Amino acid sequence: MKFNLYLLEFALFSLIRKGAKTLFVFLILTFLIFLLASVLFISDAIKHELNVSVAHLPELTLQRLQAGKQVNVPLKRVEPLLEIEGVASVIPRVWGYYYFKVAGVNFSVVGIDAFEQSYKESLQKVVDAYDVKALEKESGMIVGAGVKKILEENYYQDFFNFVTADGKWKRMHIMGSFNADISLQANDMILLPKKSAYEIFGMPENEATDVVVKVSNPEEIPTIVSKINQLYPDMRVVTKEDIRVSYQNIFDYKSGFFLSLFVVSAFTFFMIIYDKLSGLSSEEKREIGILKALGWSMDDILKERFYESFILCFGAFLLALALSMAYVFFWEAPLLRSLFVGYSTLKPSFELPFYFNMPMIVLLFLLSVPVYIGSVMIPSWRAAMLDADEVLR
Amino acid sequence: MTLTPEIIAILMLDGLFLFFSSIAFVLSLKLYWSWDSEATTLLQYRLEKESYLVGLIIKYIFMLKVPLFLFFIYTCDTLSGIITGAMCAAGVVNSVDFGLFLLLFKLLNLYLFGFWLLLHVRDVESELQPYVRQKSLFFGIAFFFFVAEIVLEILFFTSLNISKIVSCCGTLFSASTQSSLSFLFLMENWMIVSLFYASFILMLVGFMVKNGAVYLFSNLLFLFFAIVSLILFFSTYVYELPTHHCPFCLLQSDYYGVGYFLYAALFLGTFYGICGVVIATLTKGFILRAMRFSLFFNSLYVVMVSAYVVVYFLKNGVWL
Repeated sequence: MKFNLYLLEFALFSLIRKGAKTLFVFLILTFLIFLLASVLFISDAIKHELNVSVAHLPELTLQRLQAGKQVNVPLKRVEPLLEIEGVASVIPRVWGYYYFKVAGVNFSVVGIDAFEQSYKESLQKVVDAYDVKALEKESGMIVGAGVKKILEENYYQDFFNFVTADGKWKRMHIMGSFNADISLQANDMILLPKKSAYEIFGMPENEATDVVVKVSNPEEIPTIVSKINQLYPDMRVVTKEDIRVSYQNIFDYKSGFFLSLFVVSAFTFFMIIYDKLSGLSSEEKREIGILKALGWSMDDILKERFYESFILCFGAFLLALALSMAYVFFWEAPLLRSLFVGYSTLKPSFELPFYFNMPMIVLLFLLSVPVYIGSVMIPSWRAAMLDADEVLR
Repeated sequence: MTLTPEIIAILMLDGLFLFFSSIAFVLSLKLYWSWDSEATTLLQYRLEKESYLVGLIIKYIFMLKVPLFLFFIYTCDTLSGIITGAMCAAGVVNSVDFGLFLLLFKLLNLYLFGFWLLLHVRDVESELQPYVRQKSLFFGIAFFFFVAEIVLEILFFTSLNISKIVSCCGTLFSASTQSSLSFLFLMENWMIVSLFYASFILMLVGFMVKNGAVYLFSNLLFLFFAIVSLILFFSTYVYELPTHHCPFCLLQSDYYGVGYFLYAALFLGTFYGICGVVIATLTKGFILRAMRFSLFFNSLYVVMVSAYVVVYFLKNGVWL
C-alpha cells in the first residue's frame, strides 16, 4: 500500500468543502467520545486514588458478626490476637457515623488516643500535629474541611453540641481542621478523643467498633487469617486485597454500566452515519463521476474516502480527549462526577488526581474510531462503485 | 460474568466484526461460484466491484485484529487483578477450559487473515485478478475459524467467574503439575535450546541457498521450538528466577513489557516465513522479499532472547 500525499490533501479539502455536513458529524462524534472519555477518566482517577489509600491501610480488618450483623468487639480479644506469630500490631478502633439532623448529613466520627498508633499514616500525621492530651482535657475535636464548612453554615463557629445516646448534650470545641491529602475519605471526618467518642455513641468502654491488624510480612497473611478464624469463629477478616478487589469491581461495574448505555448510542450513531452517507446527493455523484472520468480508480476513491473519515474521526478523537482532560482534571468534572461519588449529602469535595495511562487511550480509541470507520465503509464503497458514464449522463 | 470497560469494548468490536465478516462471507461465496474473468455479463461486472468490498472489509478487520489481540492479552492481564489466584494472563486464560484454544484460534486467525491479505495484494497487482476464486474460497473457510474465535471469546467472557479460584502461572507452567504442558519439562534444557538454534541455522541455510521449501520447513520448526524454549529456558533468564516459566508474565510492566516485542518479532518473522513463502510459491512472485522480512524479524527475536542469557551470565558469572 503506497501512501499518496496528494490524496490526503484532496481528502482534507473535500472535508472542508462539505462544510456543514462535516461539522455536524464532527461535533456529534466529538461529543460522544468526550462523554465516554470523561466517564472513564473520572472512574479511573477515583479508582487510582482509592488504590493509593488502600495501600496505606493495615493488612487486616476484623469485624465481629452476630446474626449476620456487625457488632462491637470486646477489647479483651486484643491480647490473644497480639500473641499470634507474625502480627505486628493490633489496633482497636472506635468510630461510627453521627447524623446531624439540621443539615441532614452524616459525619464520620473517629476516636483517637494519645498513646496509640493510628491505623493510617495520613491520620497519624493529623494526630501528631495536635496535642491529643490537650484535646482530651479541653474536650476538643479536629474536623475535616467539609465538616467545618457545614458547621459554620449552621453557626457553630468554635464548638459543636453532640447529642449523646442518652439524649444529653456534649459540647466539643473545634480545635482545628485538616485537609488530608486524600480528601475522599477525610472530608466528612471528625477526630475526637476516644473517651468522648464512647460517650457520644453510648458504647461500653470495654468494646471497640472493629479491630485492625498489621502484619509485617504479607506472605503470612493467609496463615494469620486462618489462625484468627480458628481463634474467633465469629469474626470476619477483611484483607487489604479484598478491599482493593471490591473497589475495582465497583468501578468496573459503574463504568461498565455507563459503557453499555454508550454502546447503544454508538450504534445509533452508526446507523445515522450509515444512513446519511448512503444517500448521495447529486453533487457528490457528479464529483465521483468526474473523478472517475479523470482516471481515478475505484481503489483511489476508496482510499480518499478512508482518509476523509479517518481525518474526521481521529481529529474528533483527539479534540474530545483534550476536552475531556480539561473537563475532568481542570474543571473537576462538574455533573458527571456525582455519578461516581455516590449518594451522600455531605459529598466529599475532593480533587480528582491527574491519572492518565496509555491503555486507557487505546481503549477509548478502540471504542470510537473503528465504529465510525466501519459505518462509513459500505457507503463509501457504494459511492466508489458508481459509474462515470451513468452519473455524468 | 463481569463487564469491565475493556470486555465491553472487545465484545462490541466482536459484534461489528461478525456483522462485516458475514457480509464478506456471503460475497466471497458468490465470487467463488460465479467469478469468470472472461465473461462480459452484468453479473461479472458487479462481482468485480463486490470483490473490492470484500478486500475492504477484510483489511478493516485485520487492521483492528492486530491491536485487538494485544489488547485482549492486556485485558486478561488486568483481569488477573480481580480473579482470585491469578497473577497474570495465564491464570485468567486457563480459568476456562477452552481458554488456551481461544488464544490459539486468535493466533491462527491472525495468520489466516494475513495470508489472505498477502494473496489479495498479489491478486490486485495484476489487472486480470487471477486469484479471486482462490482467495474467496480461502476466506470462505477462514470465516468459520473466525466465527469460532468470536463464539469462544463471548463464551470466555461470559463464563469468567471472579469468585472462582484459579491457578497462577507458577503452577501452570511447572514440571510438578499434571498439566497438559508438563510433558515438555521431561525434555532437557540443552536439547531444546540446541534444537531452537539448529532450526535457526537451518533457516539461515535455507535463506542462503534461496530454497523456499527448506525455509518454510525451518520456520515451522523455529516457531515451535521458539515457544517451547521460551517457556522452558529463556523465560527464566528474563525473570532471573530458575523456577518461573510463564510465557505471559513477560507481558507485564515489571519486565518492561518485553513480551510484546518478543512475540511481535517472532510472529512477524514466522508469518512472513510461512505465509510469505507459500504465497510467493503459489503466485510465482518475489520470494526473496518475504524471506528477507522473515529473516530480519526472526534474527531480531533470536538476538533479543539470547541477549537476556548472555547479559545474565556477564553480570552474575553463572548460568541459571
